Amino acid sequence: MQPLGDGWYLVIDGDRRWRVAIADAPDARWVFVDGQVERIDTPSAPTTRGRAKGRGEASVMAPMPATVIAINATAGQPVKEGDTVIVLEAMKMELPIKSPRSGIVKAVHCAQGDLVQPGVNLLEIA
Amino acid sequence: MIRRLLIANRGEIARRIIRACRELDVETVAVYSDADAKAPHVSEADHAVHIGAAPARYSYLNSEAIIEAAHASHADAVHPGYGFLSERAPFARACQNAGLIFVGPPASALEKMGSKTGARALMAGAKVPVVPGETPADQSDDALRAAAARVGFPVLIKPAAGGGGIGMKAVRDPAAFGDALAAARREASASFGNDALYVERLIEQPRHVEIQVFADSHGNTVHIFERECSAQRRHQKVIEESPCPALSGAVRHRMGVAAVAAAKAVGYVNAGTCEFLLEGNGDSANFYFLEMNTRLQVEHPVTESVVGIDLVHVQLRVASGEPLPFTQSGLSQRGHAIECRIYAEDPAQGFIPQAGPILLYREPQGPGVRIDSGVQAGSEVSVHYDPMLAKVIVQGATREVARRRAIAALREYAILGIRTNIPFLLQILAHPQFVKASIDTGFLDREGAALAASIPTTLPPAVLAAVQQHQSTIGTHGTQGTQGTADPFETLRGWRG
Repeated sequence: MQPLGDGWYLVIDGDRRWRVAIADAPDARWVFVDGQVERIDTPSAPTTRGRAKGRGEASVMAPMPATVIAINATAGQPVKEGDTVIVLEAMKMELPIKSPRSGIVKAVHCAQGDLVQPGVNLLEIA
Repeated sequence: MIRRLLIANRGEIARRIIRACRELDVETVAVYSDADAKAPHVSEADHAVHIGAAPARYSYLNSEAIIEAAHASHADAVHPGYGFLSERAPFARACQNAGLIFVGPPASALEKMGSKTGARALMAGAKVPVVPGETPADQSDDALRAAAARVGFPVLIKPAAGGGGIGMKAVRDPAAFGDALAAARREASASFGNDALYVERLIEQPRHVEIQVFADSHGNTVHIFERECSAQRRHQKVIEESPCPALSGAVRHRMGVAAVAAAKAVGYVNAGTCEFLLEGNGDSANFYFLEMNTRLQVEHPVTESVVGIDLVHVQLRVASGEPLPFTQSGLSQRGHAIECRIYAEDPAQGFIPQAGPILLYREPQGPGVRIDSGVQAGSEVSVHYDPMLAKVIVQGATREVARRRAIAALREYAILGIRTNIPFLLQILAHPQFVKASIDTGFLDREGAALAASIPTTLPPAVLAAVQQHQSTIGTHGTQGTQGTADPFETLRGWRG
């Protein structure tokens, strides 16, 4: 893959060539080729939107600007991987936010009604 | 001539108006909300005034704040763009009272066209065809049946107090009228607490065809031909074009005459659009007035492309009191233009609107390609406003040349970080019915789900392999939120296609 600058690359496979654009977000790699766009989740940030912080700690983040409509966990509470810990609402759609791992809720950093931005820590699990 | 213009809008239309002002040596004043402090329309204007919080009701819909901003920045005119305050008569009047030129029609014309029933009555008086329909004072079964016979089958029975399609019944066979009537009456009563019914001719598989009109304050009114906007999803236009492939010269002329009559009936001045339903094809087609959009339209560049005029220039000249710079006989259509609206929405997820940062952005270029956009690399698409990011307008000698040019341009348009409808637009442009220009307003509601499902979801294998091996640039750009597992080989493992 030859870099062409500004996030563009030339991919050559035999006699076929593609101009590809790549942009990395904290949780995914975005790829553009010929009008097609693909978003590839990074392995450390699967669909749970959680992210490993250090050994044994994880934080739960908002995937997009949204309003917190429910918080199903309080500090000190044990949660299992996949539990819905927070429910967000954006553009009239509910987005359940799941715990990336099992553990104890260390802290909740949002309140019901908050408008939260992507990448903001909503909840920490130890 | 207007000296300094405040643009009471944001996004692509604010930038488009700023460009026109530059060309005419008119100074510009942008207004912006908290969410738009870094937006391109703000940095491109000569002056900028903050008007309020991100929700539109505190900023772009806050007429007091906007008029105050006009005074504070010594503007002498206000352009409302489209949407927001553009069709609100009290805002036009408030501008006038504040000594500001409102670049648009008089408040009285906004009022007359703003009332659907009032406008319909006015149009009927001006001999502009409207969809036949009536609400009989006598609401008995027999009286409604007689009304349906006068209107002509097929008919649509609608709650007189209703909206949103609730309680609407289509009746094609007069024998089925009684059952449909009873059902419509029950639903009207249950939903609106009022069982009065309206009987209207059902226009089957209509096209949406609109006529651009322009009037000056010296009594001149012209029409600037049509735009075909049948490609709409849930009443939201997606692709517009001109000329309309179904329109014969004779019908185009009659629609133009009707649109001019409609504008004159309300004392219209400046740019406006009469929307019609078109039933049938060629010389035998019928058209019916729907409503008048009393502002510049989103799709105005389609007209600019085929007629070779700048509608915003003309708006500014007419608002300054100048006469129209053209006559009806001096206007003609040349070639074909197609506009595709780029929305931040995910066709694969039921078209839910998208918000977030634009990480990479590159617009297509080339002969006959025009991009009107409201975003750039690094823009944050906000949840607060309309999800339309940009418009791709192409022109060519024929419809087929324009269609192919649209496809080529969209395949070059790179927007990463949020999903857009570009892959969906590509599916529409390649659909056999679109290729044949045989679509009606129901086309995307019928075919949209299948078109969205046919969007490719896998990358060419060689591209996927190369992309997966590419080392993450995250962290090297100082982006916050880097993986805690700093080992780059860790991040390479397990990329999923």
